[in-house]
Amino acid sequence: MKWRSSDLKQYQNAKEYIDTVIIPIIPFQIDLEMLAFQSEVLTIFANEIEKELAGRVMLMPTYSYLKTVDPQSEINRINAWIANIKEQPFTNVFLLTFDANWKKNEKEVHGHLLWLPSVKSGNLQSNEMKAMIRDQTNQIIELIQVYW
Amino acid sequence: MSKEKQQVSRRQFLNYSLMGVGGFMAAGLLVSPIRMAIDPVLKKTAAGDYANAGISVDDITTEPQRVDWTIEQVDGWYQSKPSKTAWVYKDDNDEIVALSPICTHLGCVVSWEGNDQYPDQFFCPCHGGRYEKDGTNIPGTPPLAPLAVYEQKVENGILFLGNAISRKGA
Repeated sequence: MKWRSSDLKQYQNAKEYIDTVIIPIIPFQIDLEMLAFQSEVLTIFANEIEKELAGRVMLMPTYSYLKTVDPQSEINRINAWIANIKEQPFTNVFLLTFDANWKKNEKEVHGHLLWLPSVKSGNLQSNEMKAMIRDQTNQIIELIQVYW
Repeated sequence: MSKEKQQVSRRQFLNYSLMGVGGFMAAGLLVSPIRMAIDPVLKKTAAGDYANAGISVDDITTEPQRVDWTIEQVDGWYQSKPSKTAWVYKDDNDEIVALSPICTHLGCVVSWEGNDQYPDQFFCPCHGGRYEKDGTNIPGTPPLAPLAVYEQKVENGILFLGNAISRKGA
């Protein structure tokens, strides 16, 4: 399910079944086309995962941050998000990102970081891209299931 | 004749004109409720819209396989092309069966033989819901209803799928 009113009603009724949260993490700098493209791809990934695992996973609003910002302040900010989410309670928090900088500070982040090798450019409508996304989605889903 | 016609009294004339005006007003009042009452008949339904599932009938085997296709959808503000999925196979009577993959528990996507421990069953990865090959939910697992079945038709050897029809619990 997603963070929208209709899904939240369902969540309230089935709270014991939904224990996992996915947060897409997207760096932002307005003139970088590559980041915009990666943001599109990551959004597709997040939606596909949510679709397959809708009954146990809640997709959070995208966490965005300036590409140039100090990493430590972002770690504090994401940890605040995670702390708030875990109060619900959610037991598993997955962070989905293309930005390898997070990998360096993984230990300080209070969630499971899923770093994906990035795609720099391409045609989202092409069959190759769709097959690639489908294939990678399945692998991420298997990985998430390991934590359940 | 013409003389008789002019013998309409003032009282009669007023009565007629009042009835006429009143009739128009009553008709005017009735138009909208009647229009609303018969609205369902006039409304165009999306039902009967079949989409090409992208699989030839000859390629369908007794083993369920996953097919994905996209449909055009206008949903309020959004015009989108959502993708749809079905598990398609031929049953013992050689009839095509197209099952919706949406788990009737909380809406995850089930897969055929998704767990090695349960061959010949649909398995839901989220909470371990299971279904027989014909989509019947297995008692004791979380789902309370069988998987929905797609309306289907075959044209020129290609499978077309319509709406998913949900079924009553077993």
